[in-house]
Amino acid sequence: MTKLIDGYKWDNFLEKVNRREFIATSLAAGAMLMTPRFVKAGSAEPYRIGVALPTTGAGANYSERPIKGLPSIAAEINKRGGLLGKHPIELYFRDTQTKPDVGAREARSLILNEKVQAIIGTWSSSVAMAIQEVIHEHKVIHLTATSNSSKIVNENYTPYTYLFGPNSRMQSGATVVAVLKLIKTNGWKNYVTIGQDYEWGRDAQGVFVHELMAKSPATKLKKELWCKLGETDFTSYITAIMTLKPDFLFGAIAGKDNETFLQQAKASGLFKRIAYPGVFLPVTELMQQRKTLPRDIIGINRCPFFAHMDNPMMQQYVKTYQEKFGKDDYPDDFACMYFDALNGLEQGAALARSIHSDAIKDALKGATIDTCRGKLTFRKCNNQLNCASYVGKVVDTPDYPFPIFERKTMIAVKGDEVWVPTSEEVKKLQKKRV
Amino acid sequence: MRYGCPPAKKLKSFRKKGYRDQAESAGRRERLRVSRFVTPLETVRPFLKTGQTDALQHPVNCLWLQGVLDVRLEFEGYTMPTDISSIILQLFSGLSRAMMLFLLSSGLSLIFGVMNILNFAHATLWLFAGYLTYTLFQFFTGTFGDYSLLLVPAIVIATLTMFLVGWLIERILIRRMYDRDVPEQLLLTFALILIFGDLIKLIWGVQNRRIFLPIEPMELLDSYINPYFFVIILSGFGVAIGLWWFLHRTRYGKIVRAAVHNRDMVSALGIRIPTIFALVFSLGVGIAAFSAGVFLPIMPIGLGVDTDLIVQCFAVVVIGGFGSILGTFVASLIVGIVYAFSILIWPNGALAIIFLILIAVLIWRPWGLFGTEMRS
Repeated sequence: MTKLIDGYKWDNFLEKVNRREFIATSLAAGAMLMTPRFVKAGSAEPYRIGVALPTTGAGANYSERPIKGLPSIAAEINKRGGLLGKHPIELYFRDTQTKPDVGAREARSLILNEKVQAIIGTWSSSVAMAIQEVIHEHKVIHLTATSNSSKIVNENYTPYTYLFGPNSRMQSGATVVAVLKLIKTNGWKNYVTIGQDYEWGRDAQGVFVHELMAKSPATKLKKELWCKLGETDFTSYITAIMTLKPDFLFGAIAGKDNETFLQQAKASGLFKRIAYPGVFLPVTELMQQRKTLPRDIIGINRCPFFAHMDNPMMQQYVKTYQEKFGKDDYPDDFACMYFDALNGLEQGAALARSIHSDAIKDALKGATIDTCRGKLTFRKCNNQLNCASYVGKVVDTPDYPFPIFERKTMIAVKGDEVWVPTSEEVKKLQKKRV
Repeated sequence: MRYGCPPAKKLKSFRKKGYRDQAESAGRRERLRVSRFVTPLETVRPFLKTGQTDALQHPVNCLWLQGVLDVRLEFEGYTMPTDISSIILQLFSGLSRAMMLFLLSSGLSLIFGVMNILNFAHATLWLFAGYLTYTLFQFFTGTFGDYSLLLVPAIVIATLTMFLVGWLIERILIRRMYDRDVPEQLLLTFALILIFGDLIKLIWGVQNRRIFLPIEPMELLDSYINPYFFVIILSGFGVAIGLWWFLHRTRYGKIVRAAVHNRDMVSALGIRIPTIFALVFSLGVGIAAFSAGVFLPIMPIGLGVDTDLIVQCFAVVVIGGFGSILGTFVASLIVGIVYAFSILIWPNGALAIIFLILIAVLIWRPWGLFGTEMRS
């Protein structure tokens, strides 16, 4: 009996194929169907990274180059096959708006919705500390560089956070080293501080005042001025500083506010009267304010590319960056630190031979990694990278279309010279987490 | 407690007990700097014990009575310079801030006073105008060369454009809100904040924008000031006088003032109230646009600046009285100058003092210093 099913004579087919041939054919077809799944699992399971940086608010200018640069860094790693040579990196960008509540919300969304295994960012230490609570809860790796309050690795420490730049304590400590020299040279007796009234500003100012008091007790603090984050009119602060007539001014101002303060202070003649050593001048500011930045002032930055152009890794990164974004654009401190963060993650996965967060976290603890600043080691007790802060005089150079720090006189103050001296002291500061 | 100058013996006693004179000769005057002023209780305790109550005098008063003008008092970390040049310098910065606030708030006050519309998006329209001025200035300097004066046509064109934008907003959106409650008006204007904010993000991105003019500091009273302060102060006074002239000396101004008091009566006289409202709204937006252009060389504009400024503008308008241009002017002066001196004396509480004044005005005169009870 011939049955027509969908117009096909199944009886004829079954008559022509014996049982052995049928089983063999079915097995082959099944194997062929399943093969792509196994291949995919073996070589293409992605490693998802959330990038939580502000594109609005006071810190947006520090995020621009990291946001531009991170995809090309990830692409370079993916050319090698990704993490462990088989997990290509996928990036998911979110705007934290420089607000702690938004930062925490976006971090949670990245972890729960996008299933990210690591989070990079962010700017503003208060936002970073809010994110720390989320990443600790979900056991996700956190790589930070822009936000650098010392509390991130001390008071608010979590083993999942790794800090790739000098923290505020290290940065202020480096400023103290430079200021002490100037105090001796110029006979300065008193000073005024101005800082942004939020986590980082308070921390950086507090450390500076404390360190300077310990090392130069004769130098008196005349007054502390605090401006709100996002201040656009520093006029009253500037005239107040000029009225107080201090020998020098210490500033803990970063982001867009720093640019505003410098411009308004310059136009008001502040720098003609009062020295301003230790102003935070990352490459971002040096490029943005190339025309207006007062020359010969003493600045500090965290990861200037021009200090490490002898390092092949830095040379390669700058080259790749310029190929993509033009010859007049250079990676700023933050783009370089996030370059180290992503490459550090790759090295961490290689050391752990796993992409599991706990394995990477354990492998990076106390590890030495290759960075665009040379080989650097994480401090075991708090995951702080032993990197330097750079203090130097702002000068013009024929090598770049913007001023840089004078390379002859620039000092690199290493992390272990200025961070909390002993691991015991660090552990005392660290809060107990569940 | 009696105030006056203590005898020399008592002054010596003061020094022994904690006031360390660091007398330095400064021309004919003696400049005395009290480097450490112990807490008031510490100061009075030894004198209370010995019964020398006449020593319980504030040292600053003594020095003033002795004719010493240049005194600095450091009191538990708060320094208060009282030399004339310092006061003038701070007054100047306060005046500049006051004029900035006035330029921004006057439009807001005018719109509310005439139309009873709380334009929450006022500062966002100001921001949009700032970006527009920036683009026009970049275009002009790119076409005609790097001349600072090209800022003037940029401001004029941006102001006129924003006048038209204001007219359109009023005709299309605001006119539908006149009979609605304040919360609905706020919702609409808040929506405008979001729309214009996103528009700015789309067109200009998230970077701060600012016009760089070669401003060199000017020497004044043994110190330096930013000469652009004069431009802001003159602009503020110019707009104040211009508004006064418009409201009191022109036919349209008189109609606007009449509309503040009684719309129905003005309408009954055959005057088209909707046109007046559109004109007032556009004028308010236009003044904001003008101020944005004036501020650009000293103040960067960026997303978020508007929401920060609108709060201060509301404080000014509430203190001065909604709808009163004179009130807005006086309130701007109060807020600007008080803020400037608070920075000098008590920097942590500078903003708090402004809002304390606001609370005091709300309790004492809810309709503002120059508002009328009718408007409240």
